[in-house]
Amino acid sequence: MKARSYLGFLLRRLVQALVVVVLSYTATFLIINVLPGDPITNMLLDPDNGFSQAEIAPIIAYYGLDRPVPEQLWNSFSRFVTGDLGISLRSNLPVAGLVLEALPSTLVLASSALTVALLVAFALAYGSQNLPPRWGQGILRSIPAVSLAVPTFIIGIFLIQLFAFQLGLFRITSPDSAAATFFAALALGLPVSAQIAEVLITNLDHEARQDYFAVARSRGLSRGALFRRHQLKSSSLPVVTMIALAVGELLGGSLITEAIFGRKGIGSLVQSAAAAQDFPVLLAVVALAAVVFVAVNLLADLVYPLLDPRLRRRRGTAGDAA
Amino acid sequence: MTTELLRVADLSVRYGRQQVVHQVGFGLAAGKALALIGESGSGKSTIAKAVLGLLPGHARATGRIELNGTELLALPERHFRQLRGRTIGFVPQDPQNALNPVRSIGSQAHEAARLLGPGDSAAERQAILDIFARVGLAEPERIYRAYPHELSGGMLQRVLIGLAVLPRPALIVADEPTSALDVTIQKHILDLLDDLRGSLGLGLLLITHDLAIAAERAEDVVVLKDGAVQEAGTSSAIFRAPRSAYARQLQADVPALNPDRFRITGQTADAGVTAIRFRSVSRTFHADGRAIRAVDDVSFEVAAGSTHALVGESGSGKTTLARLLLGLDSPDAGAIEVDGQPVQGRSREALRALRRDLQLVYQNPFTSLDPTWTVRGIIREPLDRYGIGTRREREERLHEALTAVGLAESLLDRRPGKLSGGQRQRVAIARALVLQPKILVLDEPTSALDVTVQAGIVEVLCDLQRRLGLTYLFVSHDLALVRQFADTVTVLRHGRVVEQGPVEGVFLRPAEAYSRALLSAVPRPIPDTVPAAECSPASV
Repeated sequence: MKARSYLGFLLRRLVQALVVVVLSYTATFLIINVLPGDPITNMLLDPDNGFSQAEIAPIIAYYGLDRPVPEQLWNSFSRFVTGDLGISLRSNLPVAGLVLEALPSTLVLASSALTVALLVAFALAYGSQNLPPRWGQGILRSIPAVSLAVPTFIIGIFLIQLFAFQLGLFRITSPDSAAATFFAALALGLPVSAQIAEVLITNLDHEARQDYFAVARSRGLSRGALFRRHQLKSSSLPVVTMIALAVGELLGGSLITEAIFGRKGIGSLVQSAAAAQDFPVLLAVVALAAVVFVAVNLLADLVYPLLDPRLRRRRGTAGDAA
Repeated sequence: MTTELLRVADLSVRYGRQQVVHQVGFGLAAGKALALIGESGSGKSTIAKAVLGLLPGHARATGRIELNGTELLALPERHFRQLRGRTIGFVPQDPQNALNPVRSIGSQAHEAARLLGPGDSAAERQAILDIFARVGLAEPERIYRAYPHELSGGMLQRVLIGLAVLPRPALIVADEPTSALDVTIQKHILDLLDDLRGSLGLGLLLITHDLAIAAERAEDVVVLKDGAVQEAGTSSAIFRAPRSAYARQLQADVPALNPDRFRITGQTADAGVTAIRFRSVSRTFHADGRAIRAVDDVSFEVAAGSTHALVGESGSGKTTLARLLLGLDSPDAGAIEVDGQPVQGRSREALRALRRDLQLVYQNPFTSLDPTWTVRGIIREPLDRYGIGTRREREERLHEALTAVGLAESLLDRRPGKLSGGQRQRVAIARALVLQPKILVLDEPTSALDVTVQAGIVEVLCDLQRRLGLTYLFVSHDLALVRQFADTVTVLRHGRVVEQGPVEGVFLRPAEAYSRALLSAVPRPIPDTVPAAECSPASV
């Protein structure tokens, strides 16, 4: 019965996730396609692009632009589900191929940025609890606010100036080298780490004020053991939420970071597609971002009960011991 | 016969400029118990923290604290940490918050077991299971695997006592170890501490605000007020013949010692008129697919102008009955009448009219008042909500209510954060009074307060009842207080009525085993002294 109720919870969350994906796909489709002057027709009819009438007809028919809007949406969506993301208007290549080509670079950047963000955030948080209060903690605690106040592109330009041009640690002409990737991840991850650190420090402070913290201290635990055993786990719960939200930020931020560091990824793909009104590419990327975002949040929801046993009973994943 | 285990001499503690402990001194021998007694703000918890070396960073302590001859105040944290757990054990006040909620009991118990020295995990586990059995936990294996939220307060306190004694310390500091627990459980926990003290030869530093507990459980007592020692000596001496004015007042304020202090000899009770009537009321809740009978076929009547007490442990259905009366919840079966009118099946408007006559004073004045409002706003809100009278009339009623509960006008523009617990509860009573209700539901109105503050609140309530002819439904787990304050009583257990009738009858001749168990749990310090003669019964 417990297993069944957990399965029910899982199914409910999955259905909710699917609804979010469908809605965001629909909204993007409607915004791009139905607002006056649909981009495909505009582009096809633009004499500069030199499409002949013979070329235009099959494309119009492929996108079903001669059909009513709900039918267009349905066609587009059923193609999307089967993996057919359409044809790029700019390059005439399948969108699926373009996305798959750009994806690895962005995934490497985003996941290294997340790693950097977590490492920096937890290091700051550890220091905020365990360094001497007078000088160490005060400085550490002000770092998140400062780095939050600086935009990503400033950090990126500063990193390039210092480490590429002055110190020569990496070359911007080979943007996919390990060193260049590291500094790009740093630029993208630092603002995210600041957010996570702020929340983490607040929660660690909160834990340190709890009765059970004092009682654990009276049990003779060292500062390090107190931090590991009695502060970290319950403080990590909001961090899971933060990570789930940060994924959106990392995807968005990768657009700027890729531009600054000259990387070819989803960010640069979106940038050029937006400039060229390459509607199928935009739609595919937005839908992909929605899927990733929803999946990560779903995962976060499933992780909470593992971190906090009190959530297990409420959701029925585990009852009290029989 | 015994050497001194703990010696505190000339101890002063200040937070910044504010001195909270003034040259306190006392000694405790191994195997003995010493009680530090005083109300909140008396410095008793600060002294406990000083002994444990857990004072916050901005506190400055001077004087001497010696444990087995080692001076503790000068000890660097690195060395002090070796003493915590191993030599000094700690039993906290509120067991519900004293264990980390996201970790299992077992994993936290290993922290204590590890202090016994390097041992393998299986040996540690066995030591933990043994100590759980030793402190009277029936299923050690289950407790080991459980998480804190799965256990009751009494079980958690047993776990915590077990963890404190597991590394075999010489001294246990217990900070109000029972004030968050039900009376019957209180007695078991105190018995357990007594038993362990005897069998393990521990010294016990017991911190409490309850003189009855101190006198019953400790050889020596130190009475503190505002951080200074008022009186010190053997508990029987202080109990029989308190020398200081403060100790005398403490003694007079302990309900268990003064059963007749607030007795109003029934003259106001308006015989014949029934203010509240419960007829075969039942209420079942459904949770996790299980049905819980919170209230099961409960009937009682309350005469207008009298006080009826609902008594029982947590989970006995007291609070559900109070909610049903206020129309906040509906019974599955049975009927509730106020002044002969049914409570249930009313329209919103009719329910609103009913609530005007029926006001609630909530248990915890620290959370029941909005901290962003002023006292004036809090007390006047009901008048504004019901749109009563002109501005001037409202202001008059506000001042009447304020005077009735004995609050100074100067407090009107303060916010709850600047008030003491007693003052806050007076504000809550004043808020209930401004609508001039006929009935007050008092949901454990003093359980969050010190004994002396509690006596002041009870005095106000008695006075109001005499003057305004109010009817009280008094929800409590404190039998001594019920005996002082109520006219009739219903004893509840698991939602069912165990016994009911006039207070004197139930208390003098409890017919049911459960009532007897509840009564025997009330601390009875020294049986041959019943100092009722010292305080005059409340006269009209």
